[in-house]
Amino acid sequence: MDNPAPMVDALTYQPSDSGYDEAYGSQSQPLRHWQYLLDGLQALGPQGIRERQHKADRILRDDGASYNSGHPSTSQTWPLDPVPMVLESEEWSNLEAGLLERAELLDLMLKDFYGERSLIRHGILPPELLYSHPGFLRACQGIQLPGEHQLLFYAADMIRDQNGSPLVVSDRTQAPSGAGYALENRTVMSRVLPSLFRDSHVHRLSLFFQAFRLKLNQIASQITDDVPRIVILTPGSLNETYFEHGYLANYLGFPLVQGSDLQVSNGYLWMKSLGGLERVDLVLRRVDDFYCDPVELKADSHLGVPGLLEVARAGRVVIANPLGSGVLENPALVRYLPQVSEHFLGRELRLASIPTYWCGIPQDMAYVIENLERLVIKPCFRGSREETIFGHRLSTEEREQLIAQIRRHPMHMAAQEFIRPSLAPAWHQGELRPRPALLRSFAVASQASYSVMPGGLTRAGKTPDSLNISNREGAVSKDTWIIASEPEKQLTLREVEPRTMLPASGRTAVFPCRVVENLFWMGRYAERTESALRLLRTVFVQLNSTYEMPQESRRLLLRAVTELTTTYPGFTLVDPDLVSEPEAELLAVVLDGERVGSVTANLNAFSSCADQVREMLSADTQRLINDLRDQLGELSVSLQPGLASAPEEALDPLVTSLLALSGLWHESMVRGLGWRFMDLGRRVEKALQTVRLLRAALVQGLPEAQQVWVLESILMSLETLMTFRRRSRSGNDLVRGLELLLYDGGNPRSVYHQLTLVQEHLAELPAAAHGSGLAPEDRLILEAATSIQLSEPEQLAAEDPENGQRGALDQLLARLQHLLEETSTQISGKYFDQVKVHHQLVRTSWDEAL
Amino acid sequence: MIYRVRHVTHYEYEKPVSLCYNMAYLLPRSTPYQNCLTSQIRINPSQSQGRRRTDYFGNTVYHFSLEQPHSELVVDVTSEVLILDSKYARNLELDLEFGVTCGQALVQLQQSRDPELLEAREFVLDSPLVRAAPELRDYARHSFGRDRPLLSAVRELTRRIYTDFTYDPESTTVATPLSDVLKKRAGVCQDFAHLAIGCLRSLGFPARYISGYLETQPPPGQEKLVGSDASHAWFAVLLPGEGWLEFDPTNDKMPAEHHITTAWGRDYGDVSPLKGVFFDGGESQKLKVSVDVENLQGQMPLAGTY
Repeated sequence: MDNPAPMVDALTYQPSDSGYDEAYGSQSQPLRHWQYLLDGLQALGPQGIRERQHKADRILRDDGASYNSGHPSTSQTWPLDPVPMVLESEEWSNLEAGLLERAELLDLMLKDFYGERSLIRHGILPPELLYSHPGFLRACQGIQLPGEHQLLFYAADMIRDQNGSPLVVSDRTQAPSGAGYALENRTVMSRVLPSLFRDSHVHRLSLFFQAFRLKLNQIASQITDDVPRIVILTPGSLNETYFEHGYLANYLGFPLVQGSDLQVSNGYLWMKSLGGLERVDLVLRRVDDFYCDPVELKADSHLGVPGLLEVARAGRVVIANPLGSGVLENPALVRYLPQVSEHFLGRELRLASIPTYWCGIPQDMAYVIENLERLVIKPCFRGSREETIFGHRLSTEEREQLIAQIRRHPMHMAAQEFIRPSLAPAWHQGELRPRPALLRSFAVASQASYSVMPGGLTRAGKTPDSLNISNREGAVSKDTWIIASEPEKQLTLREVEPRTMLPASGRTAVFPCRVVENLFWMGRYAERTESALRLLRTVFVQLNSTYEMPQESRRLLLRAVTELTTTYPGFTLVDPDLVSEPEAELLAVVLDGERVGSVTANLNAFSSCADQVREMLSADTQRLINDLRDQLGELSVSLQPGLASAPEEALDPLVTSLLALSGLWHESMVRGLGWRFMDLGRRVEKALQTVRLLRAALVQGLPEAQQVWVLESILMSLETLMTFRRRSRSGNDLVRGLELLLYDGGNPRSVYHQLTLVQEHLAELPAAAHGSGLAPEDRLILEAATSIQLSEPEQLAAEDPENGQRGALDQLLARLQHLLEETSTQISGKYFDQVKVHHQLVRTSWDEAL
Repeated sequence: MIYRVRHVTHYEYEKPVSLCYNMAYLLPRSTPYQNCLTSQIRINPSQSQGRRRTDYFGNTVYHFSLEQPHSELVVDVTSEVLILDSKYARNLELDLEFGVTCGQALVQLQQSRDPELLEAREFVLDSPLVRAAPELRDYARHSFGRDRPLLSAVRELTRRIYTDFTYDPESTTVATPLSDVLKKRAGVCQDFAHLAIGCLRSLGFPARYISGYLETQPPPGQEKLVGSDASHAWFAVLLPGEGWLEFDPTNDKMPAEHHITTAWGRDYGDVSPLKGVFFDGGESQKLKVSVDVENLQGQMPLAGTY
């Protein structure tokens, strides 16, 4: 291995003496299945591990693997520990059997809750346990998925107690998160520790996802004769696990949609795609059930689809997991699982749960209040703000408050024995240290039973005593390796996990209008930002020029900055001080994110469009977008007023990144509809920006010396100055300038050139119903191109002797601006869904969730 | 007794609505004491999709959506309902001063393994619009002596609400919380039903909300005006061993032949006559509702014989 100088200290793992240790068990020697990994880490040495960790972080960041930890606008890179969790396959098969059984039992409970409710009628469960839970959605009574299972996807969080026995801590049954992160962890680990990973004969994850996709396809096939269409429904880019939604969508080959991308029509569910409405047969949801349909569930939700529940009820769409499955997440149910198991299966569960109490029954409530300091208190309904409470951490006052709360709403509170989880080796600040570990396992319905993911998502606490092992509390994730105790018997699976599965056969990639719209706007914002940066750069250069710019040229150029960026009033104010001391305003045009049209505002808009379509962007694009964000952050430091260094240089990295981005799009983006819309957006914007700039700077006639300053500045900002100078010097400068910037089809910066490209794109877009002949946007662009061709540069350059304005030029540019803006409006109206907000017929102000 | 009920709901929007999804609890359900003979729902503009189903509580609910632009929405329901003699016969025979006491009822609810009682416990719990509260318990308590027959106690509660509260449509809206109703001592039928339910639940008894209609009599010597009736609301309480018994606090009555049941649930929110979402439609809307309850005694009902 590459680092021959291991530091004994850092890599000498000292198992904690305060609990069960994953690597040592209760012995003084590492367990066999950990030995290989620990040796491997030893050989890598601290420096080696650190390098691997940096590499892992870099890959995660480039993949956009993030977790929004609840603080708006801070999206953190997903934390991954370079030391995996290791489980030995013999033990794993026991766990697996236990998880299968538990999933089957929960499935039976789900059917019963929304069917006969025999568990209530036979007195197995106290009625209040079900009826008082806000996750019990009465509207879902009687909904049956085709096939044997109601619960299609299930996750369980497990720990190991002091004796090393596994215990289930909680169940996730409506939209379990983490499977995508587990897959990403695996992908990263197999790249940063390739040989260690390969030689450990780790069970692969991809078969699990194949089983998942197969199951979803099978179910969806039962409600359609066509090839089924499956979508993943996300609450949107602000959701804490949004990365995973896009990641799974890509991996499984399903479009990622938001509620507003879907619509109920004629009794079916449809996706609004570019080609019109596409029927949807199955929705894999990441939206909590309560939010899925404003007609029948939470009336003011905008994350769902009005009428969805009724389509599901009619059996015309499958929702996975079914609406209402959140009721199984009630921690108090765990208390009754033994009885339920006895009732349904006639036996005890193999896999134990953590001892649980429900305050809804008096003796439990008394016990809980009596023993608060050794219990973990959990609300029965996770939707509320309340978090897990550790009894022994409470002050006397908090304790009294909690007891009062329990007495007020006993049915809404459950408690579990506090059991210290086992500890696993984790890489912490350059040392291998024991950290408490929590394993989330995943199961998916398959054939007659369930398949369990051979692995999972392990999270390790921040400190040896961390109680709450969650991302919010600074936990790190770990890849989870299930390895054979006797490797030689294992098949050697050399392949790493595939990055995506094969696309579903017989379907071309279809995505919602929203995605195309965001790509279009990404193109526009990128171009808008670039043109603003170029002009600002030019203005900085000219202002700092050794020759002093004439006052009138200066005024005009500054005014052009405001006009181009629309950061009004800015330099359009008649204020001599502003013209003589423009720096502060110019910096604001760059840095002030609150000002519409500023570079920062445009880049933020660009970045939020990119977030909306993250799953469509390549890793390289993602990387460039990360760079742009970083550079934007650095600008506020490097661009300080009064700094002597040339401000134009501070803008260079941004321009370079934007250029790289447009190069990347040009060179490596597949020429599908997505690319076409993005490029269409860029072309429309570029033409529009040039038109605005010319109008702001050149309509006003100036004496020749001043005119040259302005003209050359414009040419410089449009990167046409060299060409201009190289070309013959005969004739009027302004006429030649206009020829280059407006007419010259050979100049990629000319308006005419952009219009030609817009025309080409429009011709390739799917035709919508506009009758025969040209569509409105075709006409607009044709008129724009023609009016340029029909105009004469000499005439445009002519000044009106009365007011010194170039009237003909102003007229032409005004018309072009109008035509281009109208073109964008037409494209939006035709191809993008006009997202509307719905209203309630009768405003209900009560809180359905109790 | 046979009634024909016509219930017309008319929405007028400021601007055209492009799309709407609705559900209506306007079609009367059948109950042990009433048969819904026919019911017809007409939507104008004629709807693209409509479907009738039975909900969790056994009510008939109608879902419909309109996918063409419309500036008006008319939901026009006509039903014919037969009220069985057995209902008022039973009520008349009931001896309110007899039967299960309040104390016994509470014990049975806690201890019985009878599925009906186990399921009825759902109606003791808080629901979105009706939550148990100390002030409700305090208001109700002195009618519910431990050894007093539950029926007698509920009857008294009904009478007290009738006496203590003023019927005043201006005083409340759909969203007025119960505590306000209690403070103002005023409300409409829906508030009084919620109030009684809240009182019963605060004491641990299962109670449910019933929506429906009441045949009203014109003042003596006057013709009954078309559209002058209104939808009505009352409540029912579960009496262990007897089943659900109905009380109308607005009229200080036990509903009999003049009450027509549409639907029941935990509270108004479970059975609100019309709800849904719509797109566009401008800022404001006008709503007109008219209800006619016609006694078909002596007339031929639309449906054949029964």
